[in-house]
Amino acid sequence: MSPSLANRLRIGFAIGFAVLTAMAVIGVGRFIQQRQDFEDAIARSYQVEMTARLRLERAGKPAAARATAVKETARRSELRDQISDDSRDTALLVAAGLIAGLTGALLLFSGLIASMRQPLEELVAAAGRLAAGDRSTRVRVGGLSETATLGAAFNEMATELEQEASQRDQLDRLKDEFVLTTSHELRSPLTSVQGFAELLMLERDSLTPKQAETVEIILDNCRHLVRLLNDLLDLARSDAGRLAITPRPTAVAPLIDDAVRTMRAQTETSNQALSQQIEPGLPLIEVEPDRIRQILVNLLTNAHEYSPPGASIEVTARVVGADVEIAVTDNGPGIPESQLDHVFERFTRGDAGLTQRVGGTGLGLAISKSLVELHGGTIAVESTPGVGSTFSFRLPVARR
Amino acid sequence: MTRVLVADDSETILLLMRTRLELAGYEVETAADGQEVTERLHDGESGPLPDLLLLDAMMPRKSGIDALRELRAAGVETPALIVSAHQDATDADAPSDLEVSGYLTKPIDFDRLLDSIAELTS
Repeated sequence: MSPSLANRLRIGFAIGFAVLTAMAVIGVGRFIQQRQDFEDAIARSYQVEMTARLRLERAGKPAAARATAVKETARRSELRDQISDDSRDTALLVAAGLIAGLTGALLLFSGLIASMRQPLEELVAAAGRLAAGDRSTRVRVGGLSETATLGAAFNEMATELEQEASQRDQLDRLKDEFVLTTSHELRSPLTSVQGFAELLMLERDSLTPKQAETVEIILDNCRHLVRLLNDLLDLARSDAGRLAITPRPTAVAPLIDDAVRTMRAQTETSNQALSQQIEPGLPLIEVEPDRIRQILVNLLTNAHEYSPPGASIEVTARVVGADVEIAVTDNGPGIPESQLDHVFERFTRGDAGLTQRVGGTGLGLAISKSLVELHGGTIAVESTPGVGSTFSFRLPVARR
Repeated sequence: MTRVLVADDSETILLLMRTRLELAGYEVETAADGQEVTERLHDGESGPLPDLLLLDAMMPRKSGIDALRELRAAGVETPALIVSAHQDATDADAPSDLEVSGYLTKPIDFDRLLDSIAELTS
């Protein structure tokens, strides 16, 4: 067991107190003793003088008596000088003792502080590292029992944090693995369902309208399942840090043309106006084209599905600082402010009434956000209920 | 008639492929895994080589990739399409020593598959 700070302080105080008390007692005792001796000596001197004068005057020797008086007076004067010197010496001695005692106490305290400082500084530094996320950080345990206990407790806490983090990482890995495997395993049966439904549709003419409609519903749901699986897979990959992109300098306009062309059939069915406005002379952006197309189609699909027939949807692209900003604006119902903060979260969708009609997976915006961030960009939304919504994302310009 | 050898470990998928390809006018043979594919082609007992291989990338015993590697090593140059359950199967996933004519993902887009087959066997 290492010595404790409290015990050291206690011992230090006791020694200091004893030394100071002893100094005081000795000093005062000596002072009183000197005073006593002095008074005794003065009294003796007077007595000698009186006795001598009485005896000598009676004997008729007044000169000798006077001489004795002079001698004793001189002696008393000497004694007074002596006591004055002695008192000063004693006072000096006591003062020196006090100074020595205080110096000793100071040395003791600075020694204690020094022995605390090093482990405390180490603890402060380690706590900083731990807070910054380095869970493998540990401190040396030693020194006074208080800092040793503190250090041991700190290490124990860090170990627990490290274990928890590794368990959480492991759970996350299991979850990602599970999603990847599930999405993989579901594809074979889904292929069969979709494939056979398509086979039925090849013979549409021999189906009753009711049967044909039923098969259409099966196919619709197959496509929805495929989208869901693809989205889940993207998210799981993104979580696992396995969503890799290979960015290359890419022109913006063809990407937008492509996405708009993909969406054209759907918006025309709903009689929605789909337009694009691209700033002339846009620089190339450093992206993986397929992924940007995926984001654009996600945003356009949302605009299309959440806006009523006859609405207008516009894609714009312009330079903002060192980035290119691409935005999809619709004049649909807009998003209530209370939901605006959550639109990029998973499985967050508009209100229930809309959701029934809308066929999305609730993952599109979460994936779009992951993808934009993977490219080193940012995504944002602005919306006014009753006026419309704008989803915009910024991507870095390609370096030449 | 153009002959296509399809390998997949799912009987349902094989039935689907057979039905769909036969409808499109192809002669279809099936195999349950890569092992069966290599045995049949190595023996040469099934007559001349098929005009096209349609191999699932992941199968028990021997994968489509491994089977194709063996066939290529044995000098079989029949065009091959690889079907993968991975959403983003690309050329990067497969070893570059394989001459693969194309990749398809499940669920299979049959229009695309039929286009590819027509192109590769014309």
